[in-house]
Amino acid sequence: MIHLTVNGKERDWDALPGDTLLDVLRREGITGVKKGCGSGDCGACTVLLGGRAVNACLVLAAKADGAEVVTIEGVSSDGALHPVQESFLEAGAVQCGYCTPGMVLSAIALLARNASPTEHEIREAISGNLCRCTGYVKQVEAIERAAARLRGER
Amino acid sequence: MREPERRAFAVVGKNARKVDGRGLVTGGPLFVADVDLSQALIVKMLWSPLAHARIVSIETSEAERVPGVALVMTHANTPPTRHTTAGQGFPEPSPYDARMFDTKVRYVGDRVAAVAAETEEAAEAALTALRVEYEELPAILAIDDARRPGAPIIHDEADATGIYDARRNIVADVDIDVGDVAAGFAQSDLVVETTCETQYAQHTPIEPHVTLASLDAEGRLILRTSTQVPFHVRRIVAQALGIPVSRVRVIKPRIGGGFGAKQEVLLEDVAGWVALRTGRPALFALSRAEEFVSSRTRHPMRVRVKLGATKDGLLQAIDMEAVSNTGAYGAHGLTVLANTGSKTLPLYNKAKNARFTGQAVYTNLPVGGAYRGYGATQGYFALETAMDEAAEALGLDPIAFRRLNAIRAGEGSPIFEKLGEGREGVPQTVKSCELEQCLAIGAEKIGWSAWRGKRERSGSWVQGVGMSIMMQGSGIPQIDMGAATIKMNEDGSFNLLIGATDLGTGSDTILGQIAAEVLGVPLEKILVTSSDTDVTPFDVGAYASSTTYVSGMAVQRAAEQVREQIFAVAAPLLGGDRQDLRLRGGEVVGRAGAVSLARVCERAMYETDQFQIGATASCVPTESPPPFLANFARVAVDTETGFVRVLHYVAVADCGVAIHPRLAEGQLEGAIVNGIGYALTEEMQFSSRGRVRNPSLFDYKVPGALDALRLDVALVDSYEPTGPMGAKSVGEIGINGPIPTIANAIYDAVGVRLRQTPFTPERVLAALDRAGVGAE
Amino acid sequence: MSLRQVQRIARPTTVEEAWAIRRAAPDASRFLAGGVDLVLYAPPSVTTLIDLSRLGLDGIREEGDDLVLGAMATLSQALESPLVAGSAGGFLRDVLRRVASPPQRNLATIGGAAVRGHPWSDVVTALLVLDAQLETYDGREARLSLAAAGAGEGPSPLVRAIRIPGAWRGSRAAFEKFSRAAVDVAMLNCACSALVERGTCREARVAVGGTPALARRLLDVERSLAGTKLTAVETRAAAEEAARGIEARDDLRASAAYRRRLARVGVERCLESIAGRGEETG
Repeated sequence: MIHLTVNGKERDWDALPGDTLLDVLRREGITGVKKGCGSGDCGACTVLLGGRAVNACLVLAAKADGAEVVTIEGVSSDGALHPVQESFLEAGAVQCGYCTPGMVLSAIALLARNASPTEHEIREAISGNLCRCTGYVKQVEAIERAAARLRGER
Repeated sequence: MREPERRAFAVVGKNARKVDGRGLVTGGPLFVADVDLSQALIVKMLWSPLAHARIVSIETSEAERVPGVALVMTHANTPPTRHTTAGQGFPEPSPYDARMFDTKVRYVGDRVAAVAAETEEAAEAALTALRVEYEELPAILAIDDARRPGAPIIHDEADATGIYDARRNIVADVDIDVGDVAAGFAQSDLVVETTCETQYAQHTPIEPHVTLASLDAEGRLILRTSTQVPFHVRRIVAQALGIPVSRVRVIKPRIGGGFGAKQEVLLEDVAGWVALRTGRPALFALSRAEEFVSSRTRHPMRVRVKLGATKDGLLQAIDMEAVSNTGAYGAHGLTVLANTGSKTLPLYNKAKNARFTGQAVYTNLPVGGAYRGYGATQGYFALETAMDEAAEALGLDPIAFRRLNAIRAGEGSPIFEKLGEGREGVPQTVKSCELEQCLAIGAEKIGWSAWRGKRERSGSWVQGVGMSIMMQGSGIPQIDMGAATIKMNEDGSFNLLIGATDLGTGSDTILGQIAAEVLGVPLEKILVTSSDTDVTPFDVGAYASSTTYVSGMAVQRAAEQVREQIFAVAAPLLGGDRQDLRLRGGEVVGRAGAVSLARVCERAMYETDQFQIGATASCVPTESPPPFLANFARVAVDTETGFVRVLHYVAVADCGVAIHPRLAEGQLEGAIVNGIGYALTEEMQFSSRGRVRNPSLFDYKVPGALDALRLDVALVDSYEPTGPMGAKSVGEIGINGPIPTIANAIYDAVGVRLRQTPFTPERVLAALDRAGVGAE
Repeated sequence: MSLRQVQRIARPTTVEEAWAIRRAAPDASRFLAGGVDLVLYAPPSVTTLIDLSRLGLDGIREEGDDLVLGAMATLSQALESPLVAGSAGGFLRDVLRRVASPPQRNLATIGGAAVRGHPWSDVVTALLVLDAQLETYDGREARLSLAAAGAGEGPSPLVRAIRIPGAWRGSRAAFEKFSRAAVDVAMLNCACSALVERGTCREARVAVGGTPALARRLLDVERSLAGTKLTAVETRAAAEEAARGIEARDDLRASAAYRRRLARVGVERCLESIAGRGEETG
């Protein structure tokens, strides 16, 4: 049993000592956290742990005990999309959508620390999130748009 | 603008929000494995550890005794029907050389046996408890060994069909010619010949293959599966399991990419068998390592191209010969091979003499399959390298040389008729071709004249630019079929039911746009349901760049029929001449006034001469209009280390009218970055015993966001008169560009030709060394 | 990929307590730092994980002229630390930017990276040329040089911190990594540092890693550089000596012969950069 705050809700979660955060979250129906490799190479399982993007498949759930976790399910509020989500839709940055939750969370973590990232900083921030559909062009554009939006420019 | 209506498009040509976008961006439970799996048995496969062996015996009793094990499957207790795993139209052009479980294994990673158990742990324990005795056989691990006299015969089974020459390990053989190539070379002032080889590569969709099988209350098999070809899955599973098609329902939810890997029936037969035998839901999901080894790959090929041209640059003859490695099974073996010629040679129709010969051979290595580009990718490497060499030898600019010889609107090529999808093709005249525009815009964007031949140096890095052009097709003429059903609802919305399969490409959205355009409503009024074999009409699925052109035309036709029905109902309400009615802004507009679609539907549903406004239409295309692409790359080569960096890549495409420009660009961008990976880093490596040495995203390197920096994609103004709303395809063509374009740019920079992919730093440095260019 | 063998997570609050648990079960226990390697590579014998996150080992601080990186500081924390940026011209920060991907850097710890010693490790290569020391505990507190760590019987000691001595914090240092893609482990990496006084190299450090073995210092090359002016001729000679001095082997990523070429080029580029002649490449 571990204690986690997931998407603002604090509670105890069933977990074996060797479970990863990915195992625990998906088992409990938080399926926006995707599994693409299980070895930290694809980024599809990216979640925010204490505000930082991490690969949920590399985090032992026990290590996250007491921490705050945000998944894609916790990003929009009251049906209103997060500006990063809005921008992904507008820019055409979503194709199959399997990498999208992780990519969006990496972008949110970046923009929380850096309101005006350069293109290189954006690419670096999502460099652990593999996408086979888009070639990353529209995703970079989406994150640039979201940054502008969050700065109140659009 | 050759089509006056184009200016008036209200929905087509606009960047609508994807109809599935909101669910995807919020992480909705949309994928196969996002449903409740707590009741599902877990299926695991025992994969062959040997490249080639006969299974002498499998002792299953110990595995069956593992607590939680529900079923152990081997060749002894599963249907033996030979079939192909290739999800193609029926009858498939691929050989029937596969069984659910065979008495022989043919590559490291082939199926041996499977178990279904309550938990992953139990399933794994059961796999460990299986005792398999093998009689190891000599293996073929290189294409050159496959056809040698005395080579082991990989498919020696008596019941396989459709293999060209099983005793010589030849899956398929193609030999076609037009004109007289010998005469063409004889009248040429210049003849160049080049041989290029491509590697084993894997699609790596971010979601590996996954299938959830279950039975409904009536005992029908429901397959919720990550596939590009739901209707082919239904047919092939029914065939393999020996049950009627009517007993199978295939549902494709959202899926995490395919790229051809999922044009194949890899899990559904086994998961389905478990559900049928146990009555329990069964989940079969490939791990990433399994995805690399035991799903499908791009056929490695050796392609030789010989070109003859007069001194003023007119091609006289093209001779292309391909040897394709189809691996242990012949899935797509013939058709990928045929496409290597049929999708490349018509591009240079000025060569009146052309020949394509080729064979696809079995080896004891992972299985080739469909992979975006489908043989054209391999063919263009050799063809566009040879074109570059010929241009140089003739003293012509590579762009000018291609302009001189490329096909134009109003022209055909006898190849179209001679060579089709593994059989004779269909005669065809190209009706839209804006290659000229593509070349002009691309050359400008890359700064061709500023960079070409300049070899600008910075330390040990030297820059160069290269280019290539290509075409693909739009579906398979007279074979592919798509169908669409549209029915109207009383608020003026419409259900669009399509068998077409959205893999993330956005086809649900663009097909909805086509319907919305015809019906004069915003996209939100089109409710798209796709890829459920119980609900949606037939469609071959997502492959061969067919969806926009083939399924799109079916949608357009269905919408047009619905429009006529709407007019028939509205005419009495509006009076006047039915010819004057138009659909616009959710209304039927006539000279005397307008009436809302809701009103029309209410009348049809509840008031007068009641009927359901709705129609189903099909499209079987009679031709396959090629999209065209001009590619340019500026690269830097480190002469000390052999590293190649793509500094700028420009791709300009003619895909007809882009129904959704951003999604069309996205298709090109994704394909190009995939192609850059294929050109530079992606390569499956093998041990001396045929085992994949790098089956992980850690060891097999696909490009990340920092690896493909400046990518410019543009679409030119074009209109394909035979396509829906003027559209043709865009899904595959982009992946063909990077290999030849980067190879030609490397040549411009440092004067060495790379003829083996990927162009790893080590290979580039070796080439530099051989040429005496490398800095010691 | 869960670790089914793990039955217990211990959460000690003191270094002594952590060590006691570890020593009591050398085969069945492991320290849990970032956890990345454990999730991927934990041996089947490991049933107890000892979480080090409650030991207060995650600070990055200065002690005199030395820079002390708490072993539990993540690579991201180190990367963002002004103290790290201000050391050796930002050398270590620039190295860390090229290690793994951001989500992995948010998990992996500097201590884990230093002692786990993946053969391709960029961190070890970089720390070697900063003369880094490990502050350890195995019943008593000790300091040992990173270069000498890893030997000995029984479980390796608990690493509390990585200490970079003041002298080398002020060195000029450079790093080269050759990898297939931006987020990838090295086909080969190398780092050099030098204490330069009035144009003369007083002392140098040269390390090459991913050969494909774990980085080690090339002491002969370091000796030949001492006392030179780091002229182009001298850096070239040192680079050639380095290329001869590595134990190169073939693996998935590169051949031995190619690795020697990379070692030559990489060491020369590092030394040229230190000598102020580095070129902007590509």
